Amino acid sequence: MSKRTSNRFGDSLLMGLVFLFLYAPIFILIIFSFNAGTSSSVWRGFSLHWYNELLHNRLILTSVYTTLMVSLLATLIATVAGTFAAIGFYSMRRSRRDTLMTVNNIPMMNADIVTGVSLCLLFVVFFNGWEHFAVWINSVQSAVTLPTRLSLGFGTMLIAHVCFNIPYVILAVGPKLRQMDRNLIDAAQDLGCTWMQAFWKVVIPEIKPGIVSGALTAFTMSVDDFIISYFTAGSSTSTLAMTIYGMTKKRVSPQINAVSTLLFVTVLVLLAIINIRESHQEKRAVRGTVSRPKAFKKPGRAVIILRRVAAGALACVLAVVLIVTGKAANARPVVNVCSWGEYIDEDLIAEFEETTGIAVNYQTVESNEALYSLIEMGGADFDVIVPSDYMIARLIDEGLLAELDYGNIPNYELIDAAYKGLNYDPDNKYTVPYAWGTLGIIYNTTMVDGEITSWDAMFDPQYAGQVLMINNSRDALAAALLDLGYSINTTDETELRAAFGRLREAKDAGVYQAFVMDQVFQKMEGGNAAIAMYYAGDYLTMLENNEDLAFVVPDEGSNWFVDAMCVLKTAQHKQEAEAWINFIASTTSSLANMDYIWYASPNGEALEQYGDYYFELYEEELDEELFAIMAPPVEVLDRCEIYENLPVDTLALYNDLWNQLGI
Amino acid sequence: MKNKLSRFAVPYEVWMALFVVAPIVIMVFYAFSSAEGGFTLSNFVKMGDYTEVFLRSFELALIATAICLLIGYPVSYFMSREGASFRRTAMVLIMLPMWMNFLLRTYSWITILDNNGLLNQLFGKIGLIALYNNLTGSELTYFPMMNTQGAVVLGMVYNYLPFMILPIYSVIIKLDHSLLEAARDLGANSATVFRKVILPLSLPGVLSGITMVFVPSVSTFAISQMLGGGTELLLGDLIERQFLGGAYNPQLGAAISLVMMVIVVVCMVVMNRFGEGEEQAVML
Repeated sequence: MSKRTSNRFGDSLLMGLVFLFLYAPIFILIIFSFNAGTSSSVWRGFSLHWYNELLHNRLILTSVYTTLMVSLLATLIATVAGTFAAIGFYSMRRSRRDTLMTVNNIPMMNADIVTGVSLCLLFVVFFNGWEHFAVWINSVQSAVTLPTRLSLGFGTMLIAHVCFNIPYVILAVGPKLRQMDRNLIDAAQDLGCTWMQAFWKVVIPEIKPGIVSGALTAFTMSVDDFIISYFTAGSSTSTLAMTIYGMTKKRVSPQINAVSTLLFVTVLVLLAIINIRESHQEKRAVRGTVSRPKAFKKPGRAVIILRRVAAGALACVLAVVLIVTGKAANARPVVNVCSWGEYIDEDLIAEFEETTGIAVNYQTVESNEALYSLIEMGGADFDVIVPSDYMIARLIDEGLLAELDYGNIPNYELIDAAYKGLNYDPDNKYTVPYAWGTLGIIYNTTMVDGEITSWDAMFDPQYAGQVLMINNSRDALAAALLDLGYSINTTDETELRAAFGRLREAKDAGVYQAFVMDQVFQKMEGGNAAIAMYYAGDYLTMLENNEDLAFVVPDEGSNWFVDAMCVLKTAQHKQEAEAWINFIASTTSSLANMDYIWYASPNGEALEQYGDYYFELYEEELDEELFAIMAPPVEVLDRCEIYENLPVDTLALYNDLWNQLGI
Repeated sequence: MKNKLSRFAVPYEVWMALFVVAPIVIMVFYAFSSAEGGFTLSNFVKMGDYTEVFLRSFELALIATAICLLIGYPVSYFMSREGASFRRTAMVLIMLPMWMNFLLRTYSWITILDNNGLLNQLFGKIGLIALYNNLTGSELTYFPMMNTQGAVVLGMVYNYLPFMILPIYSVIIKLDHSLLEAARDLGANSATVFRKVILPLSLPGVLSGITMVFVPSVSTFAISQMLGGGTELLLGDLIERQFLGGAYNPQLGAAISLVMMVIVVVCMVVMNRFGEGEEQAVML
């Protein structure tokens, strides 16, 4: 007896701990959705602020809409197709069925990433083939013009979802078919049914529970999927999971906590309803005498009402969510802009939309290299992109950029001559500069003794576990090259390998806490790391939230970069794109942007007027020192080099070294 | 009749050829091509450089699977011994987190584990960090938990634990109780009943649990990027990087995916071979 109670206690303790483990993170998410501050770990009082913001966040609402649409459509298609396929499977010879079932199981057995990657490759190959075909068709006849360029998007993602959903439906329906008495069909036909009637009146009702559970599984899988969507949706379609993933790569807004809370509560309520319903049924079943076959069991009145209420509630919730989010999604994007995280004053987007009536679909990508991958994989249906100098040179080299019509961009005149004719676009045919700045070291003065003046700090075991290395090959290797006294544009393999050795050594010594891009904001502001290398403008943004941070362009020199707006050759909205570029290049936009992102503008007027602008806005003088970080004086720039595009072999070496660094 | 119904499968057969078989064929094709399009084996040769990544991924995934099994089996077993209403509630509670996107749940762990995160704040307040420093003479201001392999394993266990509990539970709950009674009648004590009857009969559930945890763990990239800080590359990260990340090389990515697929399939075939015997034992 005593053993039994102690066992009981052990059971409950284990269960309690497991539930604590499963739910603690969720409750923390929920609690911090009501936080008045922006931090996700410091409580600053109760507020519903983030819920209100959420209702105005088009990005999140659109992605909720996309998630629901793709899940509902995929479930519908997969359920119908899967049911028919299952019936077909169970009516064929066993050997053939077994082969087909093996193929059917492939998407379930494979890791999601393999399914995602292989479908992505299929689409890319198909798109390439289609382009040749369409060009040929368009050239031999003129009656129909086929679109030559297709890209990843909602359609491809839907196909992918249907693909991984069907197997679940077949697996749920299959056993019901196996249990079904085959004589039933013959009996129905003997009694005068056509085989079609037999199908609808006998087979379908018989396997209905399987269909329902298959559909539910499919829907769950669709909603929860991230990896497969990530590889097949391209750049301009984004499910909620993809939006969250994008956000975790920069600053995560507590709006995400608010979304999760709403989702959690909805699911909780639905499950509670279903659960109550089931327990009702079970009680009735227990009370009933001999268990009757299910088909003849009539559900009680209360159960029917409850079922209807549940169905009604579900339908209402879905309808409301679709209407609210659909409204946000329906503002049709007319110009697709892709830039970096925290790199625009978002009021400018609203202003542009208001004045021109052109909707902006604004997205961000992590690094130049990631942008290049996206474009190459055919996943980028952007119009305007804002790459850095060296990447622009590469894109021009590979014929991926369109020449701009500067007649549509009169504000180009305002760009200072110092930022025209640079080596990446010597004839000024493809680009309008957006912002410029320097790369340097950001450090927390309370966590580092003395001043940092050298790139050595990024490799110093003294700071083990405190350093954030930048997560892109060009900048990371540049730091090592500079530290070793080499040029950041070197093509010498020995020098590059030496630089790689420097990084590798530091990594093995545990110097790096993490490799980050825009996560650097949260980490440095929150005092989670002491040293990071990042861009000057972003340092100034961080400084607003943490006064202990300092920035230095190391003595060995650094990179100064220009990010410029370009239009992809494949852009579908070139005119709108040029209108956007012109709007951003204007002096008023440049001033607002400069004040928000803290990067210097190439617009000469804006650069000159910024001091006055600042004074008018904040009624205090602009700090000269800060301005010197934003727009460094000549003596600092003289130490810096601009990145050049590297030859193909060197680029391949960069990729190899970068892959190996992760090991 | 029979033949007519079997025609229902034809559209899906076409679909499978297009969207299940063709993608894999294309992936194989990519894996054996160079960037210029010619045939090459260099993608596979290059993969030798990444042996460590393979080993690390399998190691972490195995650890995560083992932990899931160690927690998941007792939980399923205890659950199965409780009353119907408790069981149902427990099931709902275990499945509920799966309906929330896994990225959200993983993200929440950053808040908890970060150097300035909730756990470190808590440890600081209750004096645990000071105590540790006194005992070991170190000068920590926090316990480093984020961006470690431990954090990645924790993320895997957290996300995939329900995948271990569900299949084991569903097998145990269906066990024929008369078998247990028979064992007891024949003189077995509860430990022996568990070892000789329950454990062998629940093996199919364990095997499917292992696959359901291992496969996503070995191929994850989001969890390792969020909790591992990108310092310890896993297979998933490596693949993602070749397609949409910072080191564009789809041929290499396809080759790695292919090798991963083959390894996983071989593991599963071996396990199924082993599992089928068990399944027959259950049927008997």
